[in-house]
Amino acid sequence: MISMMNMEQKLRRADRKQSRLYLFCNFMALMIISAYSALMLSPTVQKVFPEGGDSAKQMHMIFVMTLIGCVVFTIYALGLFFRHKSGQLGILMALGASRKRLAPGLFREVIVLSGASAIVGTAAGFPFVWIIWHAFRLLLVDSSDMVLTFDFRCLFVSLLFLLLVVGFACLTAWRYLKKTNIMEVIREEHINEPVKELGRWCGPVGFLLILTGAVLGYGAPWACHAWFHMFPPAWVSIFYAPVFVGLYMVMLHTVVHGWKSHRKNPYKNIISRSMMKFQGKQTVNNLLVVTLLVAGGCFAIFYLPTNAVSALVHYASQPYDYFYQYQADQNIPDRETVEMLGREYGLSFKDWKECSCVTLGIGGMDEIYEEDGLRYHVEYVPMLQEARVLSEDAYRALTGQEADVKPGTYMSLTDREETSLYANSSAREITNMVTRKQLATEFAGFLHYDLLAKEIPCCVLDNEDYAAISEGLTDEWRGQFAAFNVDGEDSYPFANAFYRLFVSSFDDSCARPSYYDRVQKIRENETGKEYWGDTDDMTTISYELSDSFAFRQFWVYQPDFRILNQNDYMRSMAVMLMMFLFIFLVCMITALVVCYTRCQSIALNNRYIFDDLKKLGASPAFLDREVRSQCGNVFRVPSLVGTSAMFLLYSMILYANDGRMLPTEWMAMGVCLCVTAVIGGVIYAVYRSTVKSIKGQLGIA
Amino acid sequence: MIKSFRIKNQDAPDKVQNFLPAAGKEETVMLYVKELYKTYAAGKTKYQVLNGIDFHVAQGEFVAVMGPSGSGKTTLLNCISCYIPFDKGNIRLGGMELAGMNEDELARVRNTKIGFVFQDFMLLDGLTVRENVLVPRIVQGEAGKEAEKLADQLAAMFGIGHILDKYPAEISGGEKQRAAVARSLINNPLIILADEPTGNLDSKSGRAVIESFIHAKEKMNATIFMVTHDSFAASFCDRVILLKDGMIYRQLEKAKERGEFQEQLLDAIKKMGQEDII
Repeated sequence: MISMMNMEQKLRRADRKQSRLYLFCNFMALMIISAYSALMLSPTVQKVFPEGGDSAKQMHMIFVMTLIGCVVFTIYALGLFFRHKSGQLGILMALGASRKRLAPGLFREVIVLSGASAIVGTAAGFPFVWIIWHAFRLLLVDSSDMVLTFDFRCLFVSLLFLLLVVGFACLTAWRYLKKTNIMEVIREEHINEPVKELGRWCGPVGFLLILTGAVLGYGAPWACHAWFHMFPPAWVSIFYAPVFVGLYMVMLHTVVHGWKSHRKNPYKNIISRSMMKFQGKQTVNNLLVVTLLVAGGCFAIFYLPTNAVSALVHYASQPYDYFYQYQADQNIPDRETVEMLGREYGLSFKDWKECSCVTLGIGGMDEIYEEDGLRYHVEYVPMLQEARVLSEDAYRALTGQEADVKPGTYMSLTDREETSLYANSSAREITNMVTRKQLATEFAGFLHYDLLAKEIPCCVLDNEDYAAISEGLTDEWRGQFAAFNVDGEDSYPFANAFYRLFVSSFDDSCARPSYYDRVQKIRENETGKEYWGDTDDMTTISYELSDSFAFRQFWVYQPDFRILNQNDYMRSMAVMLMMFLFIFLVCMITALVVCYTRCQSIALNNRYIFDDLKKLGASPAFLDREVRSQCGNVFRVPSLVGTSAMFLLYSMILYANDGRMLPTEWMAMGVCLCVTAVIGGVIYAVYRSTVKSIKGQLGIA
Repeated sequence: MIKSFRIKNQDAPDKVQNFLPAAGKEETVMLYVKELYKTYAAGKTKYQVLNGIDFHVAQGEFVAVMGPSGSGKTTLLNCISCYIPFDKGNIRLGGMELAGMNEDELARVRNTKIGFVFQDFMLLDGLTVRENVLVPRIVQGEAGKEAEKLADQLAAMFGIGHILDKYPAEISGGEKQRAAVARSLINNPLIILADEPTGNLDSKSGRAVIESFIHAKEKMNATIFMVTHDSFAASFCDRVILLKDGMIYRQLEKAKERGEFQEQLLDAIKKMGQEDII
């Protein structure tokens, strides 16, 4: 006896091609989400990406874009599956199968397919990350930071996505079963979904909206600060919304009108154009997803050149091969010891400079949180933060630059481009933290020296003011700067050996990051409060991890050894760089899979059109042109829009940072342009291969 | 006046005084359609497709519906088969009122009281011909040995016994449609509804399908209601209803000779077309 279940099983076997496509799409989406969240939330990445930092924000933003892409992609795959399934469901309904009769089999099928593919996809995400990460370690760069560990709480993200996939599949099944028009269900597979047309204005307006959204989205946090004295809440990201509306309109224009004028030859590519138009909803959705993914990928990969160029140019342009500072109470190798070590490596040194400095408390304007935790007001705080202070003479000796600082004033150190975020320009007094003697002062302008423009503000005082205010300071508030050049070619082994010797010379009192502020600590403790840096794990620094990203980035006495920084740049930034490279790969793989799948479904769904065209005498060249035109639009437009939009956005960000484009930024954008060309080449290669595969399926010579 | 309802199915019809056939006709009424209206909406525009249709079909009668494209033939068929909802009117099948039935009751009617033959066969590709014929029984949960035997008998009756184990992709269009006819009869329905059953077939296959309908009518006393464009196929029917603009334009009774009936049909269709030109 043949039961309903037997019959459904048999039908499922016959439909395995469609099921495979759905399984594949679900699997891919879940694998991508699982892999991305596994890496993003792994301790390996978490400890390197500063919480709330720009890099972390970028990583989360691209994750959201990828998530949106995967959601739309799985919905699309589900739609394709049900469009095919509807014919079968409709026939069974027409032959008297009631909703109750069909529901168990249908729900079983969608739950098994979506659930199994989602679970396997989620599980596959981990080996996927592991393989790619270890390939990076093997082929590109390896460091102690790059040891990969997972925090399995990331499964929560995958679980949510899994529930979304299964829930949406069940909802769609229920929607089909609820349909009362059986003929509609039967014919669904062959019903076109023309998209609602807008005029030819929608493309240009779309571009305008993209531009507006980018400016508004980027400008909103600034406006929060400047106009409302408010830390931008998460919802200000809503100002980016016009970008998405604009993207939709651009894709709509592409599908409905195309970007070429057809006035001269209105019949050129008419078949592919009409095919796109009448499957408009699916096509627009696909183009939108691919655009988002390409944009996300580019956003991630552009991070590498913009960071690397700026860092490497900075290293190359520093005036000393070796530049370092230390606290006076530390037993740091003296000049003689360093020269002896240099001789072991066949090196001799020149341009030795040494000068003393002090650490004082400096006043300044601070942003004080209101009770709502969102708004703030600006208030002057007398002992705001630590500052490294040099006398005019010491500054001249160290930098070779003249500094004419009038008594009762101070000059702040910034970099050549005046982009330093930490330069202080609002102090009214400077405080000796031991004697509590205060010196009234006034900001008298900037001095420019990159090596002194660090996280801890640096100032120069008049010689006499300096002597007066530093009187009575203990060694923990005194320090020394030292710098020298190598006479001839430098040696990385020496730099490495000196770095290790230098780090090992410090005691535990100096094991703190540059953002641990001793002046702030004293201020807080004196008012009976606990300083945040004494309770937070973020302020822990270990000399044993002197090669780690966190140490080299944040240790308060991290030296500037040119050859060491240049050679170890990749290694110390490895996790960050590889995370962005991984994001780029994930986004591009997903985008290419979506494009490939879309082209495949075009071939499957429109096979009869190509057969009819053949019967009407269309030449292979004509059919080839139509296939290329159809696939070309799927690949070309999202790639162009995605890469161009990100290129422009990055240029805008670099420009808006300081209201100008620096030479290093021009160079970085040049490298980004080259990267874009490589991405274009890869996309073109996949497009060619897709066209070839589709032509094979459609039997076009 | 109606003397009795001779329905093969166990569901005996109830009172149908409101939808009586023409006076003096003594026959068993299987299908009544009264004041049937159906509109389609395309955007804000509404199209009246069925505009108050009244007719009946007697048991064992083979009736065709003809008319130009857009006259409402297929919509009428889809309303009778409960595939699409209608706006207003009554449809009685074997004495049962279809309007107001819930989804489960409608499904039962489609499964046990109606056999449907589609223009494009609508066989399930993943099942063999025998399994396809058995689908209504499988849906019912009664596809046992007895049903298989019946499927084999029907297949033999329609000349497709030799292809029972083949899949739809392996057989011709005519064979597919005869399999669909066999499927429509497997549950011994009150009526077979056929939508352009010869529309996708060559003349030889089309003829074979029509013969299978005639065979079902003669051997099984099947009632058949067929929509067609083909005057040749319609000329085998007992009666032909001509539809125009959603209304019944004319009904023609079978003549003595099939050829003569086809001539009458062609004349009537020609006249209907000329009225439009005038």
